[in-house]
Amino acid sequence: MLSAVGIAACGDDDDDAGSDATTGATAGGELTIYSSLPLQGGLRTQSAAMVNGIRLALKEADNKAGNFTIKYESLDDSTAQAGNWTPEAVSANARRAAQDDSTAVFIGEFNSGASAVSIPILSDAKVPQLSPANTAVGLTSDEPGAEPGEPAKYYPSGFRNFVRIVPKDTIQGAALATVMKEDGCTKVVLANDKEVYGAGLARNVVAAAEAQDLEVLFNEGIDPRAANYRALASRARGQDADCFVFAGTTPNNAVQIFKDFGAALPEAKLYGPDGVSDSAFADEGEGGIPAAIASRTKITVATLAPASYPPEGREFFRQYAEEYEERQPDPYAIYGYEAMRLALDAIERSETGEREDIVKALFDTEDRTSVLGTYSIDDNGDTTLTDYGVYTIDGGELKFDQTVTAET
Amino acid sequence: MTGDAAAPRRAPAPVRGPRTRPRAPKLPRRARVGLAAAALLGGAILPLFLASGGGLIEDATLALAYVVMALGLNIIVGFAGLLDLGYVAFFAIGAYTMGYFGSLFHINVNGGEGIHVLVSGVAAELPGIHLNFLLIVVLAIIATTIAGMLIGLPTLRLRGDYIAIVTLAFGEIVGRIAINGDEITGFGTKLTNGRQGITPVDKIDLPFLDPFTALNLRPWYWVAFVMVLLVLFVNFRLRDSRLGRAWIALREDEVAAVSMGVPAVKTKLLAYGTGAAFGGISGAFLGSYLNTVNADQFQFSFSIFILAMVILGGLGSIWGVVVGAIALSFINNYLIPDVLNNVPARIGLDFDLTQLSFGIFGFLLVIMMVLRPEGLIPERRRQLELQEGIEDLAVDGDDVQPAVRP
Amino acid sequence: MASASLTGARAAAPARVVRAFLDKYGLICLLLVMPVAFGIHDLRTEGDLSRLGNNLLDGLSNGSIWALVAIGYTLVYGIVELINFAHGDVFMIGSFTAAGFFGTIGLTAATGVPGLIAGLLLTLLVAMLASGSLNLMIERVAYRPLRGAPRLAPLVAAVGFSFILQNVGLLWRGGSQQGIVDLINSQKELVMIAGVSVTHGDTLAIAVTIPLVLAMTLFISRTRLGKAMRATAQDPDAARLMGINVDTTISATFLIGGMLAGAAGLTYALYQTTVWYFQGFTAGLIAFTAAVMGGIGNIRGAVLGGLIIGVIQQISDNRIGSQWTPAIVFAFLVLIMVFKPSGLLGEETREAG
Repeated sequence: MLSAVGIAACGDDDDDAGSDATTGATAGGELTIYSSLPLQGGLRTQSAAMVNGIRLALKEADNKAGNFTIKYESLDDSTAQAGNWTPEAVSANARRAAQDDSTAVFIGEFNSGASAVSIPILSDAKVPQLSPANTAVGLTSDEPGAEPGEPAKYYPSGFRNFVRIVPKDTIQGAALATVMKEDGCTKVVLANDKEVYGAGLARNVVAAAEAQDLEVLFNEGIDPRAANYRALASRARGQDADCFVFAGTTPNNAVQIFKDFGAALPEAKLYGPDGVSDSAFADEGEGGIPAAIASRTKITVATLAPASYPPEGREFFRQYAEEYEERQPDPYAIYGYEAMRLALDAIERSETGEREDIVKALFDTEDRTSVLGTYSIDDNGDTTLTDYGVYTIDGGELKFDQTVTAET
Repeated sequence: MTGDAAAPRRAPAPVRGPRTRPRAPKLPRRARVGLAAAALLGGAILPLFLASGGGLIEDATLALAYVVMALGLNIIVGFAGLLDLGYVAFFAIGAYTMGYFGSLFHINVNGGEGIHVLVSGVAAELPGIHLNFLLIVVLAIIATTIAGMLIGLPTLRLRGDYIAIVTLAFGEIVGRIAINGDEITGFGTKLTNGRQGITPVDKIDLPFLDPFTALNLRPWYWVAFVMVLLVLFVNFRLRDSRLGRAWIALREDEVAAVSMGVPAVKTKLLAYGTGAAFGGISGAFLGSYLNTVNADQFQFSFSIFILAMVILGGLGSIWGVVVGAIALSFINNYLIPDVLNNVPARIGLDFDLTQLSFGIFGFLLVIMMVLRPEGLIPERRRQLELQEGIEDLAVDGDDVQPAVRP
Repeated sequence: MASASLTGARAAAPARVVRAFLDKYGLICLLLVMPVAFGIHDLRTEGDLSRLGNNLLDGLSNGSIWALVAIGYTLVYGIVELINFAHGDVFMIGSFTAAGFFGTIGLTAATGVPGLIAGLLLTLLVAMLASGSLNLMIERVAYRPLRGAPRLAPLVAAVGFSFILQNVGLLWRGGSQQGIVDLINSQKELVMIAGVSVTHGDTLAIAVTIPLVLAMTLFISRTRLGKAMRATAQDPDAARLMGINVDTTISATFLIGGMLAGAAGLTYALYQTTVWYFQGFTAGLIAFTAAVMGGIGNIRGAVLGGLIIGVIQQISDNRIGSQWTPAIVFAFLVLIMVFKPSGLLGEETREAG
């Protein structure tokens, strides 16, 4: 209560709380890294995988970044009642990180719509934000795919605090189109889950496919709660489609839609993005798609061929398998792992551990070797990765097939 | 086994027989006024004791916004007896009013220059339409009142649970339009921004005050508190007015009320309109407070959430609804995520309680209903009915068909 | 004078005829608008009706699952006037039980036909028992203590139970839709009739639903318990005076409703080959709509409503866009409520204001 009153006494000074706060962190002190992910509802599995990856990275680093001791706290941006991220929970998490003097990095959110809520708050407080999953173009740049006013509107004070380690939608869209072109597709149908991720990716696949002279028959937003998509699939059959792309995530009924399109288009090739690159999708034994359909499915993921992993990457796979008893880590675990590693690296490079210096260190990331490949962070806060790994499914596991460089 | 359960309830109307529960002694008027005044005073000074940007004040502000909604729903369901399962529609319409007139959503309007009415600070520089928050609240009230009446119209001929179904359907349709509205374009703009959401939304900007910020929540709290005071005042005045008595009369017995000269159509529509307007006020506030208007917010479960507040507090009971809204809001936003979640770790269990939060919320609802179904602070009139008048309700059962037929 | 009144009658006649016609057939016309319009469209553009035929068949097989769930809704509503929000989740638990039981008794896609049939019948029994007893338990724990409480109290309790069951489902099989073993090769074509492809799944859904619905109808109209249920639905007090044990009758209603949900759960699992903790919520909303559309309290109405909604969904998915399907279903619901609130086959039910 005392501390609460103490803060209350300087109530109106909150605007510069950010700069105040960071002075508390002297070199060698204790810093906190927060993550804000939907731990309840449909995305729980992916979020849990990310948290696992984050914890593993921190454990590997022995809770240290340079001279700093790092404390990690996992926040939940969803509520019981909604079963999904809520703006209430997101802003509560962002405020909590903004007002904690020891905050060094905020890892989150999972959903791009949620990041649109937390970025302005964290940008005001100059908290470095690092998303392991957001792909919406407009969060960082005004390139095609962004809305008017983006991205400036998310940074009302003009301070850019947001970087991400996954390539934005345009890159993966182009990668998928390139793979389809190589595989000899001619008539493509798309379904997307209408989420920011799925709908944005689908738009980019359409644009890239048309640029590469593929005919796109339709791009349909689906209701992820529908029992099945047989009627939609039979429409694709009526139009003689030979390739199907689902732009969305596993919890948005990916298994069902692959089954239905697989049955309706018995000859077609099927494609999915990293949103379906988990064992819940790939492994029939864990409730994924059946082997007959899996054999026609290809998935793009922004990770390297396992053979070209840097040593610490191989170590990660070994440890992950040991720690969580899974042979193949979920790509989201990999993204979470790399997010934490980059955060620790940036804290170490900042030397001071002050928020603004960490942000600067994040943006200064150059030629970083990682599990995802070698990348830099550009002026927008985007990763420079353009190589995507193409995976096939074999015996319920993702198997690296080839690397494709997105034609953007 | 069934015998002993049935025995005490055999008396007046066995199946729907009222549970005889001793009436709570009525507090003297002075004590009640004193209690209410103390609660309001306590509410007013509460933020001074909380960190200005902490979790508690955030939850408290949300709770107040929900109180406004629950009081609105209470007019429809509690006073007028029209079971509305689509209240989320008014939240959505209020929030979209805020989004339309207080954000960058219409970014190309006026040749990219924007339209600004009585706004200061950052908002005055930005493109898009930016009206003063008070004007937006007025617009939200107008929009939701009209929407409330439009949704009410088809239900006028209906009774009982059919109203629930039609309102539920409208709530779902509004939610769907919010999600798919990014495909509907006209006048150079989209209808909604779907699941991407309209972000950011202007902060509240009141005359003589600096625009609000995201990190100091006290002004937000006080705005919400003033909204609650206004809405409470309106609620009490309405309840004791001619209109309020007409609502209750219709709720009790529509046929009798109409034959005594209560205009059923007008009275019901006013209930829908007023109740919806409160949802609109709160929706506009939440749009600004949460800094986003996202289609994912407008789900059926939100209607149920608000309805549960009303029922938990006591249908028709104004203070009951206030208590119910605060209680459920704190359970959802504070108790489950912040308090209960740490319990397993504290007692040394490696167990993640977020896996169970959904069930805990449900369990609390069930327990509270089983222990005190009439609500925490039941409305006295309703309590009387429960104990005396229940069999009258089934009187017109003579000429109806069996409800289950092959 | 006689002629004058005659002309008067004649003048009024068309309006009256139109109104009478609309009262009687308006709803059916409304429901036929989409199929007929798309049928004409197909004939003009493609020259045959096979696309519409496929839509209708898919709709009927999907709808027959909704129908089984809707019966449970309608029975419970008819007898205790409670919208049993947990019913959809009871259906979900039935699905999960069935999907789990396949593994327990070792059914795989390679099992031979006799073994498969025996196994499925056993699973049907287990799923029906699981869902039925679950529904019975919910009634005892949450609804029975609330009889006589404000009408909305059991509704909130039902919502609470719905959350609890969803959480159980979430813990059981995780947050994503889970594919399960495709025992009957659900999407494989069995026979092609006039361009309409009938799959194994379609056959199964219809083959399970018809006998169950017939049995239900006979049960309600012929048996002692069925009569007791009707009597209780009509007037619980009088029923009690006539010596009917109302508590037992209500319990039986919940048991039967739950068992049908269990059967629907098994059919769903076999037909879709995917189960999900949230499937019950969606199915519940749809089935509830179906029950209302058919006239709540009316078993045939619930079946009819389920089938109609199934068809509307498929046509909308196929022609309009699957993201609009829920909105279209609910728009139909509103229209029906406004113009024929008693539903397709229903009549006014006991009202409690």
